[in-house]
Amino acid sequence: MRIKLACAALVLFSGPAFAQSGEITAWSWNIAASSLKATVAGFNKQFPDIKVTVEDLGNQQTFDKMLAGCAAGGVGLPDIISVENHESEIFWSQFPDCFVDLKTLGYTDEIAAKFPDFKRTELEVEGKAYAMPWDSGPVAMFFRRDFYEKAGIDPASIKTWDDFIAAGKKIQEANPGVSMTQADINGDTEFFRMISNEQGCGYFASDGQSITVNQPACVAALEVVKKLKDNGLLIAGTWDEKIQANTGGKVATQMYGGWYEGTIRSTSPDLAGKWGVYMMPGVTADGPRAANLGGSSLAISASSKNKEAAWAYVNYTLGTNEGQVTMLKEFGLVPSLLGALDDDYVKAEQPFWNGQKVWVDILSTLPKIKPSRGTPFFQDANAIMVATQLKYLNGEYPDAKAALDDVANQVAGATGLPVAE
Amino acid sequence: MRQRTQTAYAFLTPYLLIFLAFWIWPIINSFWLSFLNTRSANWTFNPRMTWGRLLVDPAFANALQNTLVILVIQVPIMIALATVLATLLNSPALKVRGLFRFAFFAPVVVGEVAYAAMFRLLFNEFGIINKMLAGIGLTTIPWLSDPNAAMAVIIIALTWRWAGYNAIIILAGLQSIPEDVYEAATLDGVSKVRQFFFMTLPLLKPVILLCVVLSVIGTMQLFSEPFLITNRGGPGQATETLGLFLYRQGFNAFNFGYASAVAYTIAALAIAISLLNLWLGRERE
Repeated sequence: MRIKLACAALVLFSGPAFAQSGEITAWSWNIAASSLKATVAGFNKQFPDIKVTVEDLGNQQTFDKMLAGCAAGGVGLPDIISVENHESEIFWSQFPDCFVDLKTLGYTDEIAAKFPDFKRTELEVEGKAYAMPWDSGPVAMFFRRDFYEKAGIDPASIKTWDDFIAAGKKIQEANPGVSMTQADINGDTEFFRMISNEQGCGYFASDGQSITVNQPACVAALEVVKKLKDNGLLIAGTWDEKIQANTGGKVATQMYGGWYEGTIRSTSPDLAGKWGVYMMPGVTADGPRAANLGGSSLAISASSKNKEAAWAYVNYTLGTNEGQVTMLKEFGLVPSLLGALDDDYVKAEQPFWNGQKVWVDILSTLPKIKPSRGTPFFQDANAIMVATQLKYLNGEYPDAKAALDDVANQVAGATGLPVAE
Repeated sequence: MRQRTQTAYAFLTPYLLIFLAFWIWPIINSFWLSFLNTRSANWTFNPRMTWGRLLVDPAFANALQNTLVILVIQVPIMIALATVLATLLNSPALKVRGLFRFAFFAPVVVGEVAYAAMFRLLFNEFGIINKMLAGIGLTTIPWLSDPNAAMAVIIIALTWRWAGYNAIIILAGLQSIPEDVYEAATLDGVSKVRQFFFMTLPLLKPVILLCVVLSVIGTMQLFSEPFLITNRGGPGQATETLGLFLYRQGFNAFNFGYASAVAYTIAALAIAISLLNLWLGRERE
């Protein structure tokens, strides 16, 4: 009996070493899902007996099914779940018991210190780490070299949004049927969020305790979106429609997080050499020109039957240079793991991008990015902003300030938070 | 006798327990929830965040307006179409009647997701509808990205799906009208058109009223079509219905208190509009 107990204790304490087999499932979306699949081969060299299945549910579906699963006490959840940082706080605040504290699985302070603080703030609450940082999204302008050249525009000369507008008019004139840029103004607010983050403004204050969306910096950002629209330089497009426009040569510039590099490269292979990257314009000539959009993390569900195996995979994929650089190479996911940024691949000339060292250019903005807090109310605030932005662009508000005052009041009604002075 | 009643209730118990647990309890509980601020883990009593917000929330007003637009435009068109269809299906001149009846009823049998996917393809910017418009020299319409056009797509889809279903109900009503009434009218020299308006319609009134009430309730709960065809009530929130708005509050924002208040409002509106219909259609002595 005593021997049996001792054996049991041995198994328990050396758990991870013995529990390296079984099947685990992960939920993700688009290229994020593809890049998780890409790391499985390398992972299986170290852990051959763990079978990893990645399911691509699409972005909103992953979020919805995760909330529903947590509300149902963890029923139906996979072992590993992808969550966007700015949307993540609703999970920890509403369902703290739905996720494993990664510290109990081996996510030590030393490992955590390998990630930048702006990625960790939303994931670690009251001493618990609910998710491990994955990628970030330093904003860049992805542009068609041939369209710009035809209009005689040097992208390096575009320093402000006014420059961008002037260039856009020439580019559209020189390339009939081509639109300068594209934003999902019918269903999202990504342009507003990128430009306001550049200006140091967001829906909420960085402590998450008040609403700041009607502050002057955000007003300036919304005015830029309106100017782009009013000058006929911005057409509407969802994620899929943007890809269609890219492959069909209907758009000259896409502004997105750095992870869009992989999307362009994998969906427009025929356009190799025609694309390039430059820094996002600023509102003023010497103002900030760095912002972040998106970026995700991985969490492990408390209902997982194979937490050790799940952790082994998460730690390999996110915590090693090998895992992170695989995802960068294959799909352009920008590593959060700071050490991975020293990899030779980052410094290399990229053939698809006409030999430009795009990662050097994109990552150079990383240290200048200001944090932007999602809070548990991101979805509320964003839905209100989508509707109001559309009305504002259609001329239903006298100016951007009035539109954003209305947003602030609605967000206050929805969340109970005060509007900052 | 007492013994028999007890036995009957004993057999009913399993159902009654389920009814209590999954119907009565949620209905009562959500009423209580509708007074709570559910924005963080500790729920507190604060009806200003739920019922108070309903009064001033433009997104709720927008969803209500969209729902009423569909109600006022789609339901009358569909019921009128269904009545005409039923009359035609009832015509003795019609051959292979069974096949036609099935064909018009078939859309209800098709799964929601399949039919929504089909409508998305049809009304896609490069879909067959726009190809046809271009083919006859008209301008193409951005069906799914223009607010009004998207609303039109929802109305067309709903009508396609439910007109046949209502026609079959009305057909049953038609067949319950005795033939000799028409024979007598024909002998008296009443034209077919006058027969339709002055005999068929009044005799059908109870059945049509039933169809209207069912359609009103269905429209108040409308969810699948704007969720699937116009991608969650898009563009913007141009086709967001009350049902979608409720879902968004409950399962995207996780605001159960507000979602409960919205649910109660939808139920109250459906009851009020149905009562109004019944009152307007009552037998006048």
